[in-house]
Amino acid sequence: MKHDLSHFSSFISFMLDFDSVLDEPVRGELRTIMVLYQMKQKSDDGKQESDYGSFLQYLIQLNTISGNCLVFDREINENNRNVKLVYVNRTRLVMLKDRIEGKRGWTIPYEVVSKQRSFKNSNEELLAILSSPLHSRLEINGVNNSTNEIAECDYETLDKLIRATSARSVLSKEKARLKTVEKKYFQVCNNVNHNQILANVCFKKNVDHQSITKNSIPGMAHMHHKIDECRNMISQDIYSCSKSKIHFLPIINSHTEVFSGDCSYLDTCHKMKTCRYVHYFTLNPLIEGNDNNSSADENEIQRQCLAHEYTIGECFSENHRKVIPPQWINCDVRYLPFSVLGKFAAIISDPAWDIHMSLPYGTCKDEELLSLPMHELQDEGIILLWVTGRSIQIGRRALLQWGYTISDEVIWVKLNQLKRTIVTGRTGHWLNHSKEHLLVGVKGNPAWLNRKIDTDIVVSATRATSRKPDEIYDIVERLVGVHSRKLEIFGRDHNTRPGWLTIGNQLQGSFIYETEVKTRYQQYLGTKEGP
Amino acid sequence: MSRAVSKSRPSTSNANHANRYTYNKFGSRKESASTRETAIAGSLESSRSSRENQNQNHNQNLNPKKISASSEIDYCNHYIHTKQNAISQIRNIANPTEGYPKLSKLHQLKRAQVEKHATTPYGVRVATDKIIPTINSWIDNYGLKFDVIMIGALVENQFILPLLNSIPISKLCAKPGFLFIWATTQKIIELTSLLNNDNFNKKFRRSEELIFLPVDKDSPYYPDNSGDSVSLLEKQQWHCWMCITGTVRRSTDNHLIHCNVDTDLQIESAGNKKKSSVPEAMYRVAENFSNSNRRLHIIPSKTGYDCPIKIRKGWVIMGPDVILNNFDPMNYSRELNAASVVQYNTYANGSNTGANAQYLVPQTNEIEDLRPKSPVSGGKKTNST
Repeated sequence: MKHDLSHFSSFISFMLDFDSVLDEPVRGELRTIMVLYQMKQKSDDGKQESDYGSFLQYLIQLNTISGNCLVFDREINENNRNVKLVYVNRTRLVMLKDRIEGKRGWTIPYEVVSKQRSFKNSNEELLAILSSPLHSRLEINGVNNSTNEIAECDYETLDKLIRATSARSVLSKEKARLKTVEKKYFQVCNNVNHNQILANVCFKKNVDHQSITKNSIPGMAHMHHKIDECRNMISQDIYSCSKSKIHFLPIINSHTEVFSGDCSYLDTCHKMKTCRYVHYFTLNPLIEGNDNNSSADENEIQRQCLAHEYTIGECFSENHRKVIPPQWINCDVRYLPFSVLGKFAAIISDPAWDIHMSLPYGTCKDEELLSLPMHELQDEGIILLWVTGRSIQIGRRALLQWGYTISDEVIWVKLNQLKRTIVTGRTGHWLNHSKEHLLVGVKGNPAWLNRKIDTDIVVSATRATSRKPDEIYDIVERLVGVHSRKLEIFGRDHNTRPGWLTIGNQLQGSFIYETEVKTRYQQYLGTKEGP
Repeated sequence: MSRAVSKSRPSTSNANHANRYTYNKFGSRKESASTRETAIAGSLESSRSSRENQNQNHNQNLNPKKISASSEIDYCNHYIHTKQNAISQIRNIANPTEGYPKLSKLHQLKRAQVEKHATTPYGVRVATDKIIPTINSWIDNYGLKFDVIMIGALVENQFILPLLNSIPISKLCAKPGFLFIWATTQKIIELTSLLNNDNFNKKFRRSEELIFLPVDKDSPYYPDNSGDSVSLLEKQQWHCWMCITGTVRRSTDNHLIHCNVDTDLQIESAGNKKKSSVPEAMYRVAENFSNSNRRLHIIPSKTGYDCPIKIRKGWVIMGPDVILNNFDPMNYSRELNAASVVQYNTYANGSNTGANAQYLVPQTNEIEDLRPKSPVSGGKKTNST
């Protein structure tokens, strides 16, 4: 049976619309394609079905007139009827269709995508399925290509989908912002001229510059008073800058050699009276404010907290509950039974590692630290451990031994007085050290943590030897919530904080607020003294 | 409550003072020990923590509240409220040695000296699975060794344990030798076990943990935080371990190493919009530390089109994505001999073999004068670099 030209147009449209016949699940199976085609024919105009043999004849004729637009895995003949379609030349199909419809010119309405598929073994099939989203397009309505509902389903789209910020992360970040009292933040003025002129104004009445290094130096308010007095001598720019930004005023004494540059130790220099390097005075802007203002701030925070409705990870009394006052116990951590203390959501510890250096405080042996019964303190929660140099390795081992997985490593970027990183002063053995590491471990599966609010970098100024930045407490409080029980081991007086229980042998006395802990601790003291 | 507590505490102030802060004459926070004369007696029961400090000592006439409130910048707090990254606020990102002219000069001189004696940049383009065979052929046929070996790059996919395990590191790396190996926080446990396994044989001591930080979220070096369900905090760091094999002493081996020239923290320069597989600053740390001239960088896996591998003078860089492919062991050895000061180590039995030669960047007197040194007289502090 010879077919009329017009008989082919419906099949061509079918092939152009369903270019997925080469993919799963049809895989170019001609019998299946025939059934699909006939189903479509039926729904369109209720045409008669034909058998497989005549369908094959039909395809052979189509191939003849279209210049082999269909490629099969073997030749079609009477003996070879189980043939698979492996390739569709869409360009030729489109051209033939245009001819049949009597179109002139070379407008190609369909996007021409030629594809070839062959399924040699199951592995290859699997690979084809897996890799297909990376190369193919996702047709949203699937049937008709003329509507442009095609989603790019390539690598970039998928990547973007994976990287999209989750609602939880957005909401918890916003909650953290609402709940954290904003502190005053001042920019540092980088204008050398400003700093120099202000230095001249502030230090001019000291006839002998030597006196600056003595205790007679007035405070910040006095410095600002001096600037106010000399207001007419400096430009308005500089004056207003001095009230809004931080300035570092160089102190030039008779022994200072300006060309030598800044002192490595700056405001912590022990020999300031004789040091020939440049030191600075930090001129901070004054904050006009009083206590009423800060309590108003707190009320505002309260209000905001009551207003927001995102409460995942909070306790039910989050907003009207008072934070437990600072608690501390002076004890030898090695001998205190941890069961007295109860369980904690967060533990922070800054052990005095024995790093083979003469330090002004007693150090702790590695074994003693590793043998602490840490498993008694947490069922589920986080631990933060300060480590340095050699002890980084021991710290990692300790966390694993105590049953934690190391989730993060917080880097404290140490800044000096001038808000610069510390680059001099031979602070390390091979390289200078301008940062410290804080290992973070997680135990159990604490779903209640507010993840990814802060970053793992803390930029903060150095203070006294071994004193760590207080910002860490804020980060932990944002992670586990202000009302969770939090413990600091090897803490000192400056570490005590509302909401935290601090233990260590350098604390002054003890203060326990939680009744349970108090009772258990007194019982423990009783048994200790008893026999 | 807390106020009552601090009053009830024993006022043994002498034991107490070391932990308390006041504001020193330079306007910054300082331990009260040195300014105790100016401290007012009434302040003994105050300032247990800076927060309490603000509430309690407003009866002092020094006006400390005003000062304390503005004294220290809290970058974390600022980040929570404005999303402005703290790193971008550090004042010496553009010029890390700002304020230290001697150190700047030293950096400049070292850089010129390293460049002057550097070999031409070499690239070895090999597929990942051909890296080990290529290295083996260098060792077997040419006896090639390197003193500085960097492995990995700032791409997450570089830590290929089977490959790292099979690098013939003891033959490839001279002694003393220096290894710079990149890892992410998540890979540190694996890295630790790698250094302890048979291949590395505990021969490499982890000596410094270098950290590289991108300046902010827009940086091309900002690590990929997607799909990371382990971390509690937003990841913003890259780790590079510096390991040493063999014996070097920082006081006597100044021909081999220069210590304390750089720091263990490198921050990307602001305004950098182009990524390369390893930032220049990190190559420079290696060059400034080791005076050896044989430097190899192995980048085990593809780095992708948005992270090109930059070739560098004085380095042989190998990996599947290196564009340049000009390495020839014979030419390299010849050039190395011409560019370096070759020093032969004599053994106790008097024999000296070429196998133990050291190819060094010669150093100048000026560099020697400027470089940070170990204190000569015990315990005396040098107050500069």
